[in-house]
Amino acid sequence: MLEVSLQKRLDGFQLNAAFTAESGLAVMFGPSGAGKSLTLQAIAGTFPPEAGRIIIDGQTVYDSAQRINLPPQARRVGYVPQHYALFPHLTARENIGFGLVHLPRHERERRTGELIELFDLQGLEHRRPRELSGGQQQRVALARALAVQPRLLLLDEPFAALDAPLRAGLRQELVQVQARSGITVLVVTHDLADAFALGQRVIVYDAGRVLQQGTRDEVFFRPATRRVAEFVGTGNILPAVVEHLEEGTSWLQWQGQHIATPPAPFAPGTPVYLCIRPTQILIVRPNRMAERKRENLLCGHIVSEMMQAETYTLQMRLDHSTAAHDLAIALPGYVYHRLSLDSEKRIMVELRRQVLHLIPRDTTVIMH
Amino acid sequence: MSWHPVLLSIQVTAVASLLILVLGLTLALLLARSHFPGQIFLETAINLPLVLPPSVVGYYLLLVLGRGSPLVERLGWRSLFTWQAAVIASTVVGLPLMVQAAKAAIAGVDPALEKVARTLGSSEREVLWRVTLPLARRGILAGFALGSARALGEFGATLMVAGSIPDRTQTLPLAIYDAVQNRQYDLANKMVLLMTVLSFLALWGVRRLEQSA
Repeated sequence: MLEVSLQKRLDGFQLNAAFTAESGLAVMFGPSGAGKSLTLQAIAGTFPPEAGRIIIDGQTVYDSAQRINLPPQARRVGYVPQHYALFPHLTARENIGFGLVHLPRHERERRTGELIELFDLQGLEHRRPRELSGGQQQRVALARALAVQPRLLLLDEPFAALDAPLRAGLRQELVQVQARSGITVLVVTHDLADAFALGQRVIVYDAGRVLQQGTRDEVFFRPATRRVAEFVGTGNILPAVVEHLEEGTSWLQWQGQHIATPPAPFAPGTPVYLCIRPTQILIVRPNRMAERKRENLLCGHIVSEMMQAETYTLQMRLDHSTAAHDLAIALPGYVYHRLSLDSEKRIMVELRRQVLHLIPRDTTVIMH
Repeated sequence: MSWHPVLLSIQVTAVASLLILVLGLTLALLLARSHFPGQIFLETAINLPLVLPPSVVGYYLLLVLGRGSPLVERLGWRSLFTWQAAVIASTVVGLPLMVQAAKAAIAGVDPALEKVARTLGSSEREVLWRVTLPLARRGILAGFALGSARALGEFGATLMVAGSIPDRTQTLPLAIYDAVQNRQYDLANKMVLLMTVLSFLALWGVRRLEQSA
């Protein structure tokens, strides 16, 4: 369990962030230069904030009001900076055992040996960091941090230096490491895929502030502001207006269409953003129309397409619309071909009510 | 040829080198790792002997070591015209070379490595001995070799504060000057060759360190 609140004036902006992370994996997600790395360093004790409080597992390690500021040596926080900062003059084994020099020799050897096995580094013990691949370096850095049995592990962009195919495997490994050790792990990333894969809890950072924090589903599927919606790749952030409220439904007006959404606490006339992720838009085949009750059906044309790996991203323009395009739709390649979209550009889509999310356009409106 | 100037030069250079190492490392760490008012002034002052005429350096040393200075009046250390004054002169002119090289090497150590060491429980002293100094080793050794070579070759300031008293304060460079004055070219040739070889070896060692870095 980690509780953080920090203030520090920096070049160009003010770091003023507060968040909590329970045991498990938490991701601090946001663009580069948002103050994420400095926050990690403040928690590790290697960067002094001006004011605030940091509590780890009930122990206050920093409190400006009480003048508490434990040095990094006394915090029991594992810290793996960007590019791992392995000691270049030491072998992999010496790196892993670096924090264990105060132990008796046999105990040190035993712990180091266990970690080498755990991280599958047998045969590489005597190599220097520059003789290791990026993935191996990362494993050595994790082993070195875990050797001193920290109660909290901080990782700064752990996958930034790695190729895409390696990343997926190492994400999986990190999840396992966390599950095995049971400690709280806080990962900083600006990569949406990392955040999605790792973040049991997600803390969205921007310009030194926490914009939103919550479970992965809360942050990714119910972003609190337009800025968060952009960061988490919402894809469709559509300016709409609340039209009227009905039992169990808020009706919106968007591009001349009436859209039924889950009940939301906005009065008629309130300008809102209607959010839906591109992967959540269903394309309805005319012959399957009657399968169940459909809602929010929209007709239009595909105006542009882009293929990324196995996923097609389509831009759709609604009938009678004057915009270049209105909706982004993402679908797997096999669905694209089954729907014959390579030849058929006229489509009908369904915006299912349960995946629609509303954000007030005026940010002074507080959502509950 | 008398061996006294050679032995004296070795003695003076050895003690001066020790001082250069200890003082130089301390100053380099101070300058590389902290910021304090007057830092640039201190750094410039340390570097001054690189550009000042030897007579000016010697003159300042006469003020510091001579009659009326606290060293003499309070501590009773009368060093003028002894081998100890030659050590001080050699140290002062060798020090800037050591400080500059060591400072650059220490500043070049990634601070992230030191931060990680602290989170792994290392005290500040352990960080220094296990991370910073081993990683800055080459630059420190190069600066040490340059500083020592300069100390060995010191002439002008030494002449002013230690004199050139045969068999007492006459170091190798001073003995060479004396031999030339007395037209003992045979003796001068031998000593010049020895100086050249020693200095060449020191610079060659520095070059090797720089190349393997």
